[in-house]
Amino acid sequence: MDLVYTKEDEIFRQEAREWLTTNAPKSAPPPEHDSAAYRAFALDWQRRQYEGGWAGVAWPKKYGGRGLSSIHQLIWQEELYRANPFSGDGHDLLFVTISHAAPTIIQRGSDEQKAFHLPRMLRGDVVWCQGFSEPNNGSDLAGLRCKAEIDGDHLVVNGSKIWTSNAHIADWQELLVRTDPAAPKHKGISWVICDMTAPGIELRPINIMTGPHHHHFNQVFYNDVRIPLSNVVGGLNNGWDVAMTTLGFERSTAGISRQLVLSVAVDRLIALAQRRFGNTLFENDELGARLAYVRAEVTAVRAMALMAISRSATRAPGSESSLARAYTAELHQRVMALAIDIIGPDAMELREEDRWLHQYLRSYSNTLAAGTSEIQRNIIGERVLGLPR
Amino acid sequence: MYLLPTSEQEQILDAAKSFLTGEAPLSRLRPEHGEIGNRDHELWPQLGELGFWGLALDEAEGGLGLSVCEEYLLYREFGRHLLSLGALGLSLGARIAAKAGADVALAGLISGQTNVAIANPRGPTQLGAISWGAWHILEGEGAEWIVAWSADGAALFRAEQFKILESVVAMDSHMTLQRAELENVEPVAFVSKVQDDIRLRALTLIAAYAVGISEATRDEAVEYAKVREQFGQPIGKFQAVKHRCADMAIRAEVAYCQATYSALALDNALEDATLQVIAAKVLATDTALRNSADNIHTHGAFGFTAEADAHLFLKRSHVLDFLGGSQREQKAELLRQPSRKDYGVG
Repeated sequence: MDLVYTKEDEIFRQEAREWLTTNAPKSAPPPEHDSAAYRAFALDWQRRQYEGGWAGVAWPKKYGGRGLSSIHQLIWQEELYRANPFSGDGHDLLFVTISHAAPTIIQRGSDEQKAFHLPRMLRGDVVWCQGFSEPNNGSDLAGLRCKAEIDGDHLVVNGSKIWTSNAHIADWQELLVRTDPAAPKHKGISWVICDMTAPGIELRPINIMTGPHHHHFNQVFYNDVRIPLSNVVGGLNNGWDVAMTTLGFERSTAGISRQLVLSVAVDRLIALAQRRFGNTLFENDELGARLAYVRAEVTAVRAMALMAISRSATRAPGSESSLARAYTAELHQRVMALAIDIIGPDAMELREEDRWLHQYLRSYSNTLAAGTSEIQRNIIGERVLGLPR
Repeated sequence: MYLLPTSEQEQILDAAKSFLTGEAPLSRLRPEHGEIGNRDHELWPQLGELGFWGLALDEAEGGLGLSVCEEYLLYREFGRHLLSLGALGLSLGARIAAKAGADVALAGLISGQTNVAIANPRGPTQLGAISWGAWHILEGEGAEWIVAWSADGAALFRAEQFKILESVVAMDSHMTLQRAELENVEPVAFVSKVQDDIRLRALTLIAAYAVGISEATRDEAVEYAKVREQFGQPIGKFQAVKHRCADMAIRAEVAYCQATYSALALDNALEDATLQVIAAKVLATDTALRNSADNIHTHGAFGFTAEADAHLFLKRSHVLDFLGGSQREQKAELLRQPSRKDYGVG
């Protein structure tokens, strides 16, 4: 047990701090429903990181990244928040591109796939979206039905995907399709790269609950969409295995930025509550106690991120990462619900510039996306605690 | 930056675990052996031989020269075994004596040849050159010394300096409890907060003990859910039970991570050590209470009986919660702490 950072860590922190002080965005990302501005902001920031030699901090050096250890990723994120505390006030459009699709292609893609896609991702030329969930398959992902049949050197895709965030501003999609309907459900799936401009793709916009006309999700329909067989990643019918590779990647570092988002939010809430209630806040048992408790909780989320990094020094992250995931998703909701009580009746006003209300409403997705809290608890119960299935 | 125990720390842990498994099994607290109070003080000299009471004292002071991190790991094991809180009296008493140069007490404390009780406020109190107030005395039966701490510092008294008003049966009946008064008394030794923040150390060790309870109750509930059958299957198959166990595991993990970090924050005298330690104390005691309650429930009617261990954890958790300041006071202190420095403040 120690809190010692190596000389190299300290030098890295200094370098990151210097570069970020001048180059980090000065504002929060535009709101997601302002699609064009949201896309432009994300790609511009990616391009600037690329030009400064800071893009793809977690990518291996071989593919143009920085190949940073998880401790350096933590330092990078801490310095990003120091330079721009608004970093967590919006969403990261390029999460799927940089932290999901790219690691999958790096680990399982062909040389051609790597050569074509990775530089475009790193430079901030393209946005990727994810095509996993279907109208009848959410939590039971392996039961997916969107089918792809081989026709010469192409796959022909028919079916639909749903809850596809930002498909309307994406160039490419990581798409899971059923390529062998006769095989057991985990064995007949393929992971393919889908060009979102391909003929036969149609989008139905799905607005979300954050406000009127807040377009975020889409249902994506595939009518005889032709995808070259060379776009299959990791081999035909290996898609489940390929998808699991990425899941592991997502787990190892996801907590790092979440703890910063939460810590900044709670500090601001304490300041907001002091402005509204003055020092009576400390005597206001209900609000004061809730605020104090979430302050302890967000502090613990940082300790959990450091623990995860310590554990990853000896072994790959396993199912125990579901503990932190389930916890932070629900904690985020508690923090945002507390914001509404601190703001008071003005919280009935939906104002574009007020991020609290938007973030509050947006937080309802935390316990649904990427594995509901029930699925997380099944994983904890069965794979961490060894309870019977 | 590494939050897991080193191999040297694992060795200390293994020594503690094997000693406690042999000498302090939970079964010692079951009704057939039941009594008011406990006999854990018989173990103090042996734990003293292992060096545990002076673990974090300098070698010149007669200690092992280790840190609060090793003490933290030790107290997590103490919590799992519900070891008498007289242990905390010894660790803190030895530290107060060492830091105040009270040689009359030090040797007996480090060797565990004596018993130390804990005084916890039950009304207005003051600690310092002149100490007074209304107190509870925990584990005062047969104790030669009494320790107490406040925001100002920590004090070591001779037991007879307290005026005992009444002995009561404690909710946690394996511990002895008395009401007592101090009337403008000068302690044998006093260490101010500036000299050494013994209060934060006490809170860290209480948090560690509470983490031990949180984990032990999680493990008991999970083991029971694997073997207890109803409707022809282990109850752990039912999502209502499985998910409750998952919640216990989540809470225990949160408390464990924060308590670990708080020990390191204290050891490194970080600027935000107070915030870190109080966060750990609040989370860990709350988790110990909630996991203890869930453990009782998972055991069904058996969990409600004195024959199960489940109630022992709950009762000790309540003691930990009250020890060193109520949640209400600690939460107010938590809100008054400045922001952490590891990120920008917007």
